[in-house]
Amino acid sequence: MLPAMLPRQSNLDPAAAYPKITDLRAALDAGDWPACRELLDASEQAERTYLITAVSDEKGLEDFLRGVLRGDPGDGTAGALLGRHLTEAAWDIRTRVRAEHVSREQFVAFRAGLAEAERVLVDAAARSPHDPAVWTARLVTARGLRLGLPEIRRRYGRLAEIDPHHLPGQQQVLQSLCTKWYGDAALTYEFAKEAAAAAPAGAPNPVLLAEAYLEHSDEVTDLDRVRAELREAAMRSVWHPDFRRTHGWVRTMSTFAMAFSLLNDQEAASSLFRALGKLGSRWPWEYLGDPAATIEKFRARAGGDT
Amino acid sequence: MITHTEVDGIPALVAPTTGPMHAGLVFRVGLADEPLARRGITHLIEHLALFSFGVADYHYNGSTGVEHTFFHMQGAEADIVAFLNGVCAGLHDLPMHRLATEKEILRTEENGRGESAADALALWRHGARDHGMPGYPEWGLTGLTPDDLRAWTARYFNRRNAALWIAGPGVPAGLQLDLPEGTRRPAPTPSSALPVRPAYFAGGSNVVAWDAVVDRGPSTAVFADVLKRSLFRSLRQESGLSYHVHTEYHPRAGGRALLTAVADALPEKQGAVLGGFVDVLAAARLGQIDEAEVATVAGQHREELTRAEETGVRLPGQVFDLLDGRPVRNLDEVLAELDTVTRDSVAAVAAAACADGLLMTAGRSEADWAGYTAAPTGSERTVDGTAYPALGEPGIRLVAGETGVSLAGGDSVATVLFAECSAVLQWPDGARRFVGHDAVHVHVEPTLFPSGPALVAALDARTHPDLRVPMPARGPDRIPRPPAPKPAERPPSAAERMVTGAIRRIRGR
Repeated sequence: MLPAMLPRQSNLDPAAAYPKITDLRAALDAGDWPACRELLDASEQAERTYLITAVSDEKGLEDFLRGVLRGDPGDGTAGALLGRHLTEAAWDIRTRVRAEHVSREQFVAFRAGLAEAERVLVDAAARSPHDPAVWTARLVTARGLRLGLPEIRRRYGRLAEIDPHHLPGQQQVLQSLCTKWYGDAALTYEFAKEAAAAAPAGAPNPVLLAEAYLEHSDEVTDLDRVRAELREAAMRSVWHPDFRRTHGWVRTMSTFAMAFSLLNDQEAASSLFRALGKLGSRWPWEYLGDPAATIEKFRARAGGDT
Repeated sequence: MITHTEVDGIPALVAPTTGPMHAGLVFRVGLADEPLARRGITHLIEHLALFSFGVADYHYNGSTGVEHTFFHMQGAEADIVAFLNGVCAGLHDLPMHRLATEKEILRTEENGRGESAADALALWRHGARDHGMPGYPEWGLTGLTPDDLRAWTARYFNRRNAALWIAGPGVPAGLQLDLPEGTRRPAPTPSSALPVRPAYFAGGSNVVAWDAVVDRGPSTAVFADVLKRSLFRSLRQESGLSYHVHTEYHPRAGGRALLTAVADALPEKQGAVLGGFVDVLAAARLGQIDEAEVATVAGQHREELTRAEETGVRLPGQVFDLLDGRPVRNLDEVLAELDTVTRDSVAAVAAAACADGLLMTAGRSEADWAGYTAAPTGSERTVDGTAYPALGEPGIRLVAGETGVSLAGGDSVATVLFAECSAVLQWPDGARRFVGHDAVHVHVEPTLFPSGPALVAALDARTHPDLRVPMPARGPDRIPRPPAPKPAERPPSAAERMVTGAIRRIRGR
């Protein structure tokens, strides 16, 4: 049995709660692109982007997807996945540590890799201008290539025209709006609040408020107000009867759980840990160290001894 | 209906018009013919030839273009006759007593004009020769002598290098175009300063622009407008990033055409304008062109051509064709060719144009991420020769050799080979600027090098006298001084600024 499956350790594999990821990986491993397309084409828009992101770290995708694109240059799905895959590869070179710990050589290779990804995505966007997965992928490259907030907002504008509540894209915008990239806490909150308020009841989008808090927790002073805001966000989202346990639900709930934990709202955190059961997500817990151990620590603190 | 005729040995096209009579005398000469050291000579001659008309109360004008220069008048038949006869007389006997004053007028005109995106694109695409000349100031003015002007008029403003158009009932009585004999001068072949395309450079302004050179023809003209519509939709209507968006189609000699696209950007929106621009070009490159839009634009061109035919507005272009040795086509032929334009033919032009594209980014933005290669901003190597470290800046070296001169500092090198030099600007205080064919320049300030004056004298001895361009004297405050011993934190020294200025290929006055 894998360590992640031991009692009192959450299973952090996103496929555990969402087997479509396993199916998609199997189809990719088999080199069966029609099967991949069938699975992805049948998904909702945000789900499709979520799946493309989830499998983009698969090894050996580049040659396979370039072959697919040679056969059909207009396959936006292949373009989005290849762009996303090349972006992941570039980020692997850079590593996820803060910029001051990245060497000059790493940065040069990182930029070259992102430019490679972006060129694939420029073509994909030109051929498939209405593909939300392509625009979401271009929000990531824009950030890494330092194209600036105006260009990121332009790209998000194109995405929002297609799907105004595209959470995977909104999460990328939120990252760019953080202090660590191009913005600050105020800009991040403003975006999160707007996107949360606009989403239909029961949608996962209010999790953006939890993310905004987690990215700027050291700058927050008015804890009561933030706690209240976050409870309201949870009411419209993970605690709403229409909240669906579909793609990404574990990460959404897990993110709320971490935000409530850090806000010392043990009651709220506990309810979410209970709902999650043995499931968890690496992100955003990895911000605090080893995610599995951290989750257990905070679960115990919340009294969610399930 | 166009009539081909001849007036005093000059080929002429005559066509009726529904509007007022107008006529123009065109010469196959323009900025592209000017050596950089004589830059401004054609414009100066155009001004002098028009001097005798003063502030006359009718519509006349002269225009110095890249490949053609013309004198144009609209009005009564007698006025047109007086104007064109007068232009020929003026060219024959330029009012040299006006030389100093007209030079001043041209300098004032130039200072008021500012640099356009198209000018910058021309410099980066073609370098410091022929079609790159619009990117340079009229540096030749100060040194131009009456003999220079006479030699230039004899070479270019002659009857074999001229053509005439008349929009009106016929050749007016009394028209006497008294021009000397000579020969037809074909337009120079455009040089290239771009080893790789598509390419980009940082334009430093609040404008994103692009150009490309492709085969001329109705599909190219239609593509220019299709591109304008795409840019307008994307940058103005959908995202409100730009206010002014325009494209142009300029036919050139040799069956080619220059396409230009320009979009302005608010300083805080530069990155987004570049992003939108790149996306529009990518869509064009990949043939994402709407058939209905092509049909709409082709329909507009049909109407414009038909209207232009009625008012004689097609005539100048037809006379350009005549001078370039191309067939002069009547309206039916042009419309028939327009009918062959299809979505696919426009897409083919778009693909060719994007492969040849030169993109000018706003501010200091890069565009390598979008697949554009950085245009060279310096030279690959330093010449062999003696190295002179700058006073107080041993990291900056001027290298003077038998074949050329280099300025090197840090990772940057600027080299101008004497055999590939377009001009040497010479200031009375001893400063020199060597401008290479590729538009890279080396600026030498003798005050910043040991034995500077002797060094400058040695460099002068190696440059061809025809390349020398006398510059107006500089005030003492504009002449750099060697640096004082430097504290740890300080602004760039004069020597460092000299290197930066040499490496960046910006036009400097």
